[in-house]
Amino acid sequence: MDLLDKMTGIQEADGAVTDEALRALAKSAHVPLYRLEGLRGFYPIFRAQPGAPTQVHVCRDLACVMAGGPGFPRRVQVALAGVPGVETHEVSCLGRCDSAPACAVNGTPVSGTAQEVAAYATGRAPLPPDPPRSEPRRWTTDPYDGAAQHYGVLRAMLSGTGAGKLDLALDVLKASGLRGMGGAGFPTGQKWELTRKAPGAPKYVVCNADESEPGTFKDRMILEELPHLVIEAMVLGGWVTGAGQGIVYLRHEYGRARKALEEALDHARRTNILGPSVLGSGWGFDIRLFVSPGGYILGEETALLEALEDKRGEPRNKPPFPTQHGLWGQPTLMNNVETLAAVPIILMRGAEWWIAQGRNGAKGLKFLSVSGDVAVPGVYCVPLGTTVAELLALCGGMADGKRLYAFAPGGASSNFLPASQRDVPLDFQPLQQAGSMLGSGAVVFVAEGRDLLALGSNVLRFFRNESCGKCVPCRVGTEKASAWMERALAGNAPPGLVPRLRELGATLAQTSICGLGQIALQPLLSVVANFPAEAAKLGEPARQTPAKAPASAAGKSARRPKSKPAARPAAGKPTRGAQKVVPKTAARKAQASPKPAAKPKAGRKAAPKSRPAAKRPAKSARLVTRTARSTTPAKRK
Amino acid sequence: MTPSQPVTLTINGRNVTVPAGTTIWQAARDLGIAIPVLCHSPKLAPVGVCRVCVVDVGERVLAAACVRPCQEGMKVTTESPALTGHRRTLTQLLLADYPEDSAREATTGDDELLALARSLGIRDVPYPDGAAGRPRGMDASSPVIAVDHQACILCDRCIRACDDIQHNDVIGRTGKGSAARIAFDLNTPMGQSSCVACGECMAACPTGALTDKSVAGIKITVR
Repeated sequence: MDLLDKMTGIQEADGAVTDEALRALAKSAHVPLYRLEGLRGFYPIFRAQPGAPTQVHVCRDLACVMAGGPGFPRRVQVALAGVPGVETHEVSCLGRCDSAPACAVNGTPVSGTAQEVAAYATGRAPLPPDPPRSEPRRWTTDPYDGAAQHYGVLRAMLSGTGAGKLDLALDVLKASGLRGMGGAGFPTGQKWELTRKAPGAPKYVVCNADESEPGTFKDRMILEELPHLVIEAMVLGGWVTGAGQGIVYLRHEYGRARKALEEALDHARRTNILGPSVLGSGWGFDIRLFVSPGGYILGEETALLEALEDKRGEPRNKPPFPTQHGLWGQPTLMNNVETLAAVPIILMRGAEWWIAQGRNGAKGLKFLSVSGDVAVPGVYCVPLGTTVAELLALCGGMADGKRLYAFAPGGASSNFLPASQRDVPLDFQPLQQAGSMLGSGAVVFVAEGRDLLALGSNVLRFFRNESCGKCVPCRVGTEKASAWMERALAGNAPPGLVPRLRELGATLAQTSICGLGQIALQPLLSVVANFPAEAAKLGEPARQTPAKAPASAAGKSARRPKSKPAARPAAGKPTRGAQKVVPKTAARKAQASPKPAAKPKAGRKAAPKSRPAAKRPAKSARLVTRTARSTTPAKRK
Repeated sequence: MTPSQPVTLTINGRNVTVPAGTTIWQAARDLGIAIPVLCHSPKLAPVGVCRVCVVDVGERVLAAACVRPCQEGMKVTTESPALTGHRRTLTQLLLADYPEDSAREATTGDDELLALARSLGIRDVPYPDGAAGRPRGMDASSPVIAVDHQACILCDRCIRACDDIQHNDVIGRTGKGSAARIAFDLNTPMGQSSCVACGECMAACPTGALTDKSVAGIKITVR
């Protein structure tokens, strides 16, 4: 945390983390240069040389590509062409799918047409204000009538004799059936118990506030409007598990949430909710806010831990799991924002009450991020088990009276389902049985007339862009599949593409280290499997359902997500070589390395694209030749 | 984690008892069962990144044998048509970006990726070629060690050799995703970095990415 915080500080102060700055940091922090380069090269907020004073970020992912069209980033770029002091970058999901197409001007969220975004960027239009909401809504998972009541559950738990209460709290949590809301759905009470029982001290409580999967933005709203519930649950988690230190890992794009959280943390410290003696109990607990230097993968729990340890955010091999071996190898309780926010009301009103909130056999309440072709996108808190059709009605139906064609019930990593499945309850089991998953509860509605194959490819490209690069199947597999799909969407699908994608998808699902690689091809394969018209575009009839194996565990916690300017060019359009929307990493590299080693990516990207399929056999021939030669060295001249 | 707590498991139906903490890969090796792997070497701490050593332990997904500790009662399968299929796919993915002329194969002839390809009987690479023109570049700046980034499979062996074995602390990874690559110091050419040319990285490298300059390019004379 300290090292990355220092680098972030340098980046913010100087607009870059230059070689000179890293050499100085290496000396003062006593770390080798390669480690600092590893961090600078991995996290998207760092650049080696300062850029233009105005940085415009344009989201290129699912909801935004639907709202703005695939050419939107390019249009923003064109609108800003030649404007001095302005740089435009395509970036991954900004977590504002409800105001798609989402952009940011020096971190301030904006939306609108390309011309409107350009007006914000050039100062012709004043940036919209970004204050915390003054009049918070009352959400159904907030048990408190007003600020005066906040932390009432914690007060009750810590007052008087506490030993029995601790067991009771754990029992209530387990009985409630609360499951992780970040995507993986692990039983929360069980996780708390595992961490409590794990030998070792100190222990940690981590709040995963790094949601970044396209379609997902519910945690942003919870942090903006209900930060006290998250803080209270973290303190309760510390009390139950025996941890003394909490950490919130927040994505850097959430400025408003950061402000709300900082204010709530300050207030909690002033009122002894946090500190050396929580509410005078003699037991100490405090929370540190850590702002992520960026990247979807950091939402994967072990990648997040690596980042907290000032390493490249690459997921660990599991087991061991964080409950046993988490931050600095110590037992660590990690929960998603929404999961934590549900804890106070469950402990106040009991497991029975929570269970009764669900419908159709589901337990509890669920925050859903709704985006896509829907009349009123936004965050909705509904009974778990609400059907997709009911949710759609709640959101005012489809936008512009269009007809529902498809939906992704759990964010970009969940499989697309056809409109005929609209009566499926939004719940773990039913969605899994339907061939998809609840994931993070990000429902993306797609209207008839959309090119779903292109959207499935967009999702694949997101995972390629956000792959950390640690393991072979994900690093290379997502790249190759993206290259295939780029060709296919240009009407030049390689023969036998669908079976090849299935084979590759199975290998990624079975051999990738984390959930990102495991699910990377599945949404695209679900389009082919569930939508005959889309499959026909690839010259294939729809067949078997896509591999479901990863769906059960993949969600976010299993793998996870976030936004990052990819190291590769984003949109795979042929115009790409000419386009000036520079992926940040590539730009950094180009500026940073006059070094022979860092060959420009452009050539590399262009190469596979421009290579005709006919060239592939050449490689096989080469391989065979090489094989023959190598196995029989004696025959060589 | 003490040797006094042995665990018993079966590998391909054979019982084996090993000290707690032993990896599946090592336990299998002790039984004479070879599990193919590229990123692992017994003298390095395992990282489990090439995934070629995946085995079936009856879980939702396969486990990397090189890094997964044996557990009591575990039933491990190291060979099956499905496992071979995944290993083939992983190898083909690496071959798609691999240069035609591996310096290791051309000289000492012990390129482990190509050896694995041969042992799997791979005759074709169905994936788009990413090696033509060597877009990832070469680095000839070191007087001793030739660097071919195109032949690098990011197995992490050189990094562990440099940082963990020799403690020279020169090599790491930079970039991310398919743009990730090994880097020296602040991504400087090897010859201008703090590299002392000890050769440990080159000895650890399984491919043509890091080779000895005095050997690279010299044709071996068959006697």
